[in-house]
Amino acid sequence: MKKQKLPELFVVAAVLLVIFVILPILLTFASTSATNLFETLIDPEVARSIGLTFLAAGIASALGVLMGLPLAYILARRDFSGKGLIEGLIDLPLIIPHTAAGIALLMVFGRQGVLGKLVRPLGLFFVDTLAGVVVGMLFVSIPLLVNAARDAFKAVDSDLEQSARVDGASAWKVFLTITLPLAWRGVVSGVITMWARGISEFGAVAILAYSPKIVPVLIYEKFQGFGLKAATPIAAILLVIVVLVFFVLRSLAGAIDD
Amino acid sequence: MQPFKEIEKAFEAKYPQYDLRMEYHGSIQVMRHVTDLHEPIDIVATADQALIPMLMYATNDPATGKPYANWYASMATNKLAIAYQAKSKYADEITAENWWQILSRPDVRVGLSDPRFDAVGYRQLMVFALAQALYGNDQIFNDFLEGQFTRPINLVDLGDMLIIRIPEILETTGSAHLVMRGSSIALNALLEAGEIDYAFEYESVIKQQGFEMLNLPAELNLGDEAHEANYRRVTVKLDFRRFASVEPVFNGELIRYGLTIPESSPNPEGAARFFAFFYGEDGQKIMADNHHPLIRPIEGDHLELMPDALKGLTGD
Repeated sequence: MKKQKLPELFVVAAVLLVIFVILPILLTFASTSATNLFETLIDPEVARSIGLTFLAAGIASALGVLMGLPLAYILARRDFSGKGLIEGLIDLPLIIPHTAAGIALLMVFGRQGVLGKLVRPLGLFFVDTLAGVVVGMLFVSIPLLVNAARDAFKAVDSDLEQSARVDGASAWKVFLTITLPLAWRGVVSGVITMWARGISEFGAVAILAYSPKIVPVLIYEKFQGFGLKAATPIAAILLVIVVLVFFVLRSLAGAIDD
Repeated sequence: MQPFKEIEKAFEAKYPQYDLRMEYHGSIQVMRHVTDLHEPIDIVATADQALIPMLMYATNDPATGKPYANWYASMATNKLAIAYQAKSKYADEITAENWWQILSRPDVRVGLSDPRFDAVGYRQLMVFALAQALYGNDQIFNDFLEGQFTRPINLVDLGDMLIIRIPEILETTGSAHLVMRGSSIALNALLEAGEIDYAFEYESVIKQQGFEMLNLPAELNLGDEAHEANYRRVTVKLDFRRFASVEPVFNGELIRYGLTIPESSPNPEGAARFFAFFYGEDGQKIMADNHHPLIRPIEGDHLELMPDALKGLTGD
């Protein structure tokens, strides 16, 4: 590709932005002593919390796939009255403060909540349970998957689906063998983004399920109770793991695509 | 918290040049924001005045080498009580005699403010420990807490001395009927939502929030001077191995709120003006209207070290 001339100011702005993002992360590491980092690494509470966080975000993403892909597909393929409204509503969790989301979820999933009351006889509770963590993560991150998958489905030529239908394939088969494989990259990217967003959630989860403690809650608690020295090593460790997992997932997705 | 919102409004109306910015945290946390996070804070108010010497006198500001505080004013007293709602489980059954039995039932959801960070939390544990002698049952503490935490909170009951030990890591078990949050404020919301049935709170707060209130016996409520010797039997120790600059120990005593101006206050003049306003007629009235009257005349610790501008206040 021929090098194109860029406005010099763009380069300056871009460099500043990269510094803005990288600097706090670098300082998180710089301010963590090796001893602290090691003690934190072998701390079973931290390990358990990291495992729980990844698991809960994974379950939330799986539920997101089950419930989000159908909606994304409908939004990509159908025009109906109220579609704009639904698209706007789905984005709401991105806009409202997550503490407010947590309170709203408590109203629905609490023991006295609309849904919480219904499922209580089944022994399913959401306050201070894994289920509550999953619900909090799912709520705040689902728009990312729906939007990414919708755009990916839209980019698939619907004529291809049509001709397959003409050849006698069922709607299911068309979706699974034509649409999904072609939209794969976008969908996977949406799932990864959703999963990552779930891991980083604090506000909604802290209100609905303060414990078992996911890493963001644990970091907050350590910061509040024991100061920066206790919080930064956990943040640093989570950062490394997330970057690694992200990198692996992204390259896997890339490999499948190629 | 509620009266402070009114105080803020009234203060800013009187002194429009000031914008009072309030932050609410558990009692220990408010001090950590000064001593650990080095935030520029002008006034610290806490529900346990003993925390001010423990955490602020004992810690030096690295910028000046001086302690973060060297005096405090006692602000108000309070009593601990149990907040609930008419729809709470066994609400029609609970009394000042049987509350400890009801709160230990596995189907009753009880709030606990994290005793590592909030005075309501460690005071609630003190109440359960003191209850053993009052009701003649040495299992009260254990019955309430057994199986609730992944690492237990232990009580050593030596009769004239009760020692509660709290582990560094405190997390409720999956089957716990205790619900723990970082501060009692967070528990009030859960109580309102019907998520928990009972929570310990200060009487003034219960009245402000309009919850149902079960008054605890004077031997237990930590607010009756006649029983202070009894309260003093109990001590709460935090088993912190790491990261703690100060080994925290909380002694059972009369509930007294404290107020100080940190040495590191970036605006001591504004802080003094607030202090005078708070202890003046307007502040007194707002606090009294909120069921939380101020202690007048001002008492406290090392009041001679208060800023000169405030010394006139102590005379009345």
